[in-house]
Amino acid sequence: MATAGRPLEYLDAIAERYPIVMHGVSLSIGSTDPIDRSYVADLRALRDRTGALWVSDHLCWTGVAGRNTHDLLPMPYTEEALAHVADRVRYVQDILGAPLALENPSTYVEFGGAPMREWEFLARLAVEADCAILLDVNNVYVSAYNHGFDPHAYLAAIPFDRVVQMHVAGHTNHGTHVIDSHIGPVIDDVWRLLGDAYRLSGGTSVLLEWDAEIPSFEETHAEALRAKPFVGRPGTDAVVASHHP
Amino acid sequence: MTRRAIVESLVEHERASATPVVHGRVPHPSTGRSSDADFVTRHVPETQGETQGEGLLDDGSLRARQEWFARAVMSPETMPAPSVSETDRVLTGGPQLSSLDRLEVYRRAYHGRLVECLADDYPALQASLGDPAFERIARAYIARHPSTSPNLNAYGRRMAQFCEREAPLEGPAVRPFLTDLASLEWAIVEVIHAPGAEPLTLAGLSDVPIEQWADARLATTPAFRMLRFQYPVNLYFQAFREGRRPAVPEAAASAAAVYRNTRTIWRMDLSDPMFDLLGSLASGDTLGTSLERAAAAFADVGEEVAVARVMAWFREWVQSGLFSGVSFG
Repeated sequence: MATAGRPLEYLDAIAERYPIVMHGVSLSIGSTDPIDRSYVADLRALRDRTGALWVSDHLCWTGVAGRNTHDLLPMPYTEEALAHVADRVRYVQDILGAPLALENPSTYVEFGGAPMREWEFLARLAVEADCAILLDVNNVYVSAYNHGFDPHAYLAAIPFDRVVQMHVAGHTNHGTHVIDSHIGPVIDDVWRLLGDAYRLSGGTSVLLEWDAEIPSFEETHAEALRAKPFVGRPGTDAVVASHHP
Repeated sequence: MTRRAIVESLVEHERASATPVVHGRVPHPSTGRSSDADFVTRHVPETQGETQGEGLLDDGSLRARQEWFARAVMSPETMPAPSVSETDRVLTGGPQLSSLDRLEVYRRAYHGRLVECLADDYPALQASLGDPAFERIARAYIARHPSTSPNLNAYGRRMAQFCEREAPLEGPAVRPFLTDLASLEWAIVEVIHAPGAEPLTLAGLSDVPIEQWADARLATTPAFRMLRFQYPVNLYFQAFREGRRPAVPEAAASAAAVYRNTRTIWRMDLSDPMFDLLGSLASGDTLGTSLERAAAAFADVGEEVAVARVMAWFREWVQSGLFSGVSFG
């Protein structure tokens, strides 16, 4: 998070010209460590500074016992975990004074003995904690590939009235599994899945993520605009962004 | 290391992970796969995993699962992975990968990400060592210093100390040179993340009455670091930034200031007397006191020469934006 120095100066300059939404990777909403109150306070301060419309992070945990892996680690989708995360979402939303949106992460393994699938957990969490959802359509594809589920079963469970934004991105397919690398163009299957999700949503903003080996602005913008045939209404613009854990 | 290189190294490691070559890892019990085997498809029933492990998981609680998972992910890749029977108690296999293969995706990503973070902060150190030696040192650093912050900006802060004391070096690597180079590169990172400030200008100083100058205290811009080195690492770094691949230089004492007031980071070589004068000013001494201290360095030249020289530095430093404020008394 940019709370000082040159990154913050860049952010200020951008916020002067464009509306901002905040997207984080370090909230660790699912961890069993205590909530990092100073981190949440920094989020609040940055939200006030930028006037961000909402703050988003991921349905995951990033570390435990005081250590941070800086990765988006999978949750066991149990009743215990659901109650735990819902409590923490309510706490964070109270401090932020802004809606918190949680994004479905790309996952590479699942915990055994879990009574729920991710889509059911996310849907119940959004309702029980009264939070928003950031639906990453590429992550649905990646996790579906890695765990062998039907991505449309995922979409069917999502309460789309709570979805504030959708993400698409390139990924890296290793045959045995797919890594959410945010490199390269979006594959056709993910575009089609975006189209399906967009129809269910009735309209929302769409963002292309591209983190490394980013081509020229023209090429990157053209990739973002490839969303247009899949998002129905003409005039709906897609935007491009990059984030690093 | 570029993101592409990370991805490519992941591919390499993934092939390796299908092969239980890491000492101590238990071969796959159900397949006994050989070293050239591809990933093996294996389905684990969804209901499995709550079983009490033999001391592996005290209970099926969220806390216990997270502690187990984090320990496995953060263990160095040279250490044995958990056994397949252990991972099967906690995690599921997927359509094409075992539970252990899937866990290993996270272990590789954890180390790869932090290696990449350190490479971003220390590009000249990496170039000097070469990728394999840098990665070996980075992995030792990661094992020694797990991250405890939600922010990676300060993760690499201990690299100079690590190079000085602990980093596993091989071949002709020169420890004090690497330590100096890491110090310089970390100063650059610190200056990026320190607040900027409007620089003091010569025009802004022209209002100061001449009799007040001796009592003036100058504030260096907040994004400012001064360093002394045993090696000429600023020259080395400059050559690196110009795309050359300089050889490790001979030892020779040097000093530099690293700072920014706007978006550009500046590096400035400092002679010994410059370092003393600027150091004195930066520590809050008045200009009069600082000049007196610096005068000792000019014992061999006349006072007039000394004053002219010091005033020339001072003007240059002001014009370079080293100072952001002045106060009196």
